Amino acid sequence: MTEGLSEARRLHPATLLVRWLKLAPQMAGGGIGLAAAGRQGGFAQFLWFVGIAMAIGGVFTFLAWWRFTYRVGADEIVIEKGIFQRQRRVIPFDRVQDIAIEQRLLARLFGTAKVKIETGGAAKDEGNLEVIALTDAQALRDHVRRGAARIAADVSAVAAETEEPLLFAMDLKRLLLSGLFGFSLVFLAAIGAVLQQLDQFGLVEWDNLVTAERAEAAAGFATVQAAFLLGAIVVALGVVAGVARTVARDYGFRLTRTETGLRRKRGLFTLSEVVIPIRRTQVALIESGPIARLFGWYALSFQTLGADQKEGGVQVAAPFARMDEILPILAEAGFPAPPPRAEFHGIPRRALVRQASPWLALAALAAGAAFIFDARAGIGAAVLLAGAVFALLRWRKQGHALGPTALFVASGLLRRRLWVVPFEKAQIIFVSRTPLQRRLRLASLLVDTAGASAMRTSEMVDLDAGVADATAGELLARFHSARARLRPVAIRS
Amino acid sequence: MQPDERGDEASDVAGAMTPLHEDQVHVLRLRAALVAALIVIGAFVLDMAFAGETPVPRYAVPGAVLVVALAAILILPRRRYRAWGYNEGEDELAIRRGVWTRVRTVVPFGRVQHIDIAQGPIERRFDLATLILHTAGTRGAAVPLPGLKHDLAEAMRDRIRAKIRQDLV
Repeated sequence: MTEGLSEARRLHPATLLVRWLKLAPQMAGGGIGLAAAGRQGGFAQFLWFVGIAMAIGGVFTFLAWWRFTYRVGADEIVIEKGIFQRQRRVIPFDRVQDIAIEQRLLARLFGTAKVKIETGGAAKDEGNLEVIALTDAQALRDHVRRGAARIAADVSAVAAETEEPLLFAMDLKRLLLSGLFGFSLVFLAAIGAVLQQLDQFGLVEWDNLVTAERAEAAAGFATVQAAFLLGAIVVALGVVAGVARTVARDYGFRLTRTETGLRRKRGLFTLSEVVIPIRRTQVALIESGPIARLFGWYALSFQTLGADQKEGGVQVAAPFARMDEILPILAEAGFPAPPPRAEFHGIPRRALVRQASPWLALAALAAGAAFIFDARAGIGAAVLLAGAVFALLRWRKQGHALGPTALFVASGLLRRRLWVVPFEKAQIIFVSRTPLQRRLRLASLLVDTAGASAMRTSEMVDLDAGVADATAGELLARFHSARARLRPVAIRS
Repeated sequence: MQPDERGDEASDVAGAMTPLHEDQVHVLRLRAALVAALIVIGAFVLDMAFAGETPVPRYAVPGAVLVVALAAILILPRRRYRAWGYNEGEDELAIRRGVWTRVRTVVPFGRVQHIDIAQGPIERRFDLATLILHTAGTRGAAVPLPGLKHDLAEAMRDRIRAKIRQDLV
């Protein structure tokens, strides 16, 4: 066993400084508030308040740090903490799913790391060691992993951590390219919001940039050019922001194969290291935006159980990759490759009655309104008509296929998604029909899985009712046989 | 509107479904009556409060509310009751429910994490209970099956529990 870890240890002393510094903005804010509340305010009083608050904060920070200890035993890790109410938490190694290591910028300056121990339980921070030396973090991870492996497989000698096979990596060129495709309208909105904020603080006089006078002055000359220029600047800003965000997040992206899962390392400022345990992957998702797809770029992510819930239980395995790079990763994680497009079953034409005709009806109404009341309603009609066309095009892209071991669901028009749902990962099967669906003999089929996000599901909307039922039955049969295969010793009396 | 019965027959993966216990109609009706009573009383109170201040004739609004409430108490519970059905198979529980949007749910026993039996005050009067199967799923992590005699609910729970154990071997 790794010596030196078995006695009680405290977090890295840098914790003190980091936590104390993190307090500063709040304390300063509180100081401003108090000073404002005080009648004869003044800067000196403000400093006093902040000073006292920071001193008290410092004492508590120190106490919290002093009380927080962790010990790594042969079979478990013990975390003790609490100033007034003390808490002792024991995490057995065989319950540890994985240990994630994250290094933020500040932590990297000190050579420390944040360690998250994941057990797959419901509690949010089950075992967070906020700041420990990076070498300690790595030693701890290896130690726990060996302990878990030893208990799980009863193998005493686990091969030392050798060079793990590389599954996917992104060089700088690829990274920048992916950043270009990472451009999104959300960014434009965010940039606009930031500019507005700056304007409020008087840093940028937004109103003076585009005022009515200037617009008028330029009207005869270059209004159109100015509009184009402004648009181009905003788009350029969006592109730059997209690239910057992607580079910051995915710099040095490496996906390697570990004994039990896929290890992902990435980050420019914040280095993060996560292992996606293969046993806990539920569903694979291949998706691509409209332009990236034109050039043959896709993203692969896995929906996992109990892992970092920040991203809705979805972990990216390859953010920007060719299909022939994605398929080996899929295979490595035990997922089958999707069948060719021709093997997907589409949804019946009458589904359009539900998906497109409401748009058409509204468009007709708006067009009527445009003729009778106000021509401006025509814009609404055009938008609604576009909605109908969109629905029509999207209708063609929906489909599903039953493979030997998994269900494949395709959906989406611009952002296309392909779900790979292994039969044995099903939790519940839903077949639902709204009144309109019943009239049209349609039904929606959902295979519910663990850890799915509520927003993006692999629901198959508007299947033929008969097909939905047959598929549900087929899925259930395959679920049972897949589960039986997984447990060859299951006793069936 | 007469719903399309054909679709439902075809939908039964595991054959015809068992209806809930007859008394569940009374449970649904009592629940509906409680809610309806509150709404009707509220409507009458508001009507008295604004009497003469609006062009709407007196008792018109609470009268309409009362008619709707009576319909909800007299007609809907039976329809809601009929919409429910279940089938306890060898390896899974299938449940059908919903008057407007019909949902059929299939829960494989191997996926059940734990089982609850719940009994509200109205259910208790009729010795009925709701069996709740908890899974690790997302959209319907807890699947309820109401309207079972308490003994039956317990028997089902024990049967399902035994199957979970088998599956864990």
